[in-house]
Amino acid sequence: MSLTNFSHGENAQAATLNGSSASGIQIEIFSQLDPLQINLMHSWHIRLSESGGVISGASITMNGGMPEHDHGLPTQAQVTEELEPGLYLMEGIRFHMPGLWELQFSIEHGGRVELATIEFKL
Amino acid sequence: MKNAYSSVAVRSVAIVVIAAILLLAAWRFYSPPLADDWNEEQLSLIRSLSLSQLPELPADPSNAVADNEAAANFGHRFFFDTRFSSNNAVACATCHVPELMFADGLELAAGVSVGPRHTPSLVGLSYSPWFYWDGRKDSQWSQALAPLEAGVEHDSDRVEISRLIASDENYVQLYEAVFGPFPDLDSLRLPQSASPLGNQSRQQAWSAMSPNSQKIITRIFSNIGKALAAYQRKIVPGPARFDEYVEQLENSSATRQADLLSDSEIAGLNLFIDQAQCISCHNGPLLTNHDFHNTGVLAISGQLPPMGRYDGIRTARNDPLNCLGEFSDASPSQCMELRFARDENDLVGAQKTPTLRNVSLSAPYMHGGQLQTLDDVMVHYNEAPTSMLNHNEAKPLGLRSNQLRQLRDFVLTLTAPLATEDKWLKPPTDETSN
Repeated sequence: MSLTNFSHGENAQAATLNGSSASGIQIEIFSQLDPLQINLMHSWHIRLSESGGVISGASITMNGGMPEHDHGLPTQAQVTEELEPGLYLMEGIRFHMPGLWELQFSIEHGGRVELATIEFKL
Repeated sequence: MKNAYSSVAVRSVAIVVIAAILLLAAWRFYSPPLADDWNEEQLSLIRSLSLSQLPELPADPSNAVADNEAAANFGHRFFFDTRFSSNNAVACATCHVPELMFADGLELAAGVSVGPRHTPSLVGLSYSPWFYWDGRKDSQWSQALAPLEAGVEHDSDRVEISRLIASDENYVQLYEAVFGPFPDLDSLRLPQSASPLGNQSRQQAWSAMSPNSQKIITRIFSNIGKALAAYQRKIVPGPARFDEYVEQLENSSATRQADLLSDSEIAGLNLFIDQAQCISCHNGPLLTNHDFHNTGVLAISGQLPPMGRYDGIRTARNDPLNCLGEFSDASPSQCMELRFARDENDLVGAQKTPTLRNVSLSAPYMHGGQLQTLDDVMVHYNEAPTSMLNHNEAKPLGLRSNQLRQLRDFVLTLTAPLATEDKWLKPPTDETSN
């Protein structure tokens, strides 16, 4: 299951993208490039929470691509730091085409692995 | 009776056949009428292609002299100098000809001998994070050095080149104005010729040099690359007829803007941003995403299908002259592209998207110059043939021949003189190099 939303950066406090896993882990993405644009390398701050509490010490990986073009992401973005409990720095994000993107997150925490998908149009 | 019946039948068949041929011809050449106005989504896509949207040149943290004018002067002189080649006849400008948008008009590059790839244009290339068709270099300065030591291009090496610079007072002055004192090569007891790359004798001579000498020579060599990159950053596109058209769209959303673009060119633009999906990869003001895609281009005659970016990223990671190497001026945290590059299987056979700015002047096309004309390119993308390796990301377009011509007509509106000062487009005179 996935929830998707794409804001256009009119509110600096609002997440640029968000979604959730089947069991309800909330993913909020605060892009350091907002609104998102193609062809620019940038970083994200990703907040993980569950039932109101933050999730600290999780391992997050992101894959994805463009289902309509049958190709993946142009970069292999990675979480390089947990900036504060539940807030993660992901570096190395770049999109190279306008259109529909699909991102798959794998969140490993407390011995379980949760999956979440976020779709958005650039 | 029988004869009369036959002749009626023959006539009927003939009429049907002729009508079918006429209908087919009409279908192939029919153009739906142009809409009177662009909608907001179309306007947004069209504006995104305008040169007015081009940002300042991105910084190159791996090259401390990327925007140093004295470095550009040094690079300018070097770029046109044929002495840095084994036959004294090959300069960077031999394949990157200013009048041909810094390409050469050949299928395959011809240096000291014929190389394995088509020469790409240098126009606007400083905006790209990756270089070569397969992206095996992650900076313009590091890229600029590879042809000097490639046997089929300049067929020279870093020791020969350092010696030649040391023997030429003009170059020593240019070097010292940017990089400080030129090292005393006599004290290093260098061989005539040596490199960690290239033929066996060059490699053996390199191995026999002390690590300190190797480092001093590679420092000189990498500085030359940085000066060449500073020069190449001057090579930028100028506004074309298409950009004037977009400027007019600021005042009105009408598809026809005086006579700036013809109906065929406007129809081509519409196809480019919509049905033909060219904008998927040819996006932004330079009409390239600087990325790598497999579009089912046939292998170059006599060569195996290339691995493309799949191999290119692996080569870049292992390159001592990359952003993370000791000759780079960047801190590791600034090497974002190299650190976060993908290397997975879908990059097999992927080649770099070239700019479409001035593309009418840089035929033939593709990484091996396999397609001779823009019409051939349009037919290729319309058919989207099966890739020899991996899969073709593009899908067949099903466009009519008339629409392919419209697309070509639109692409021709992207040609314009460079926004580069004239002095950079020809070999330097002594006044401009000092």
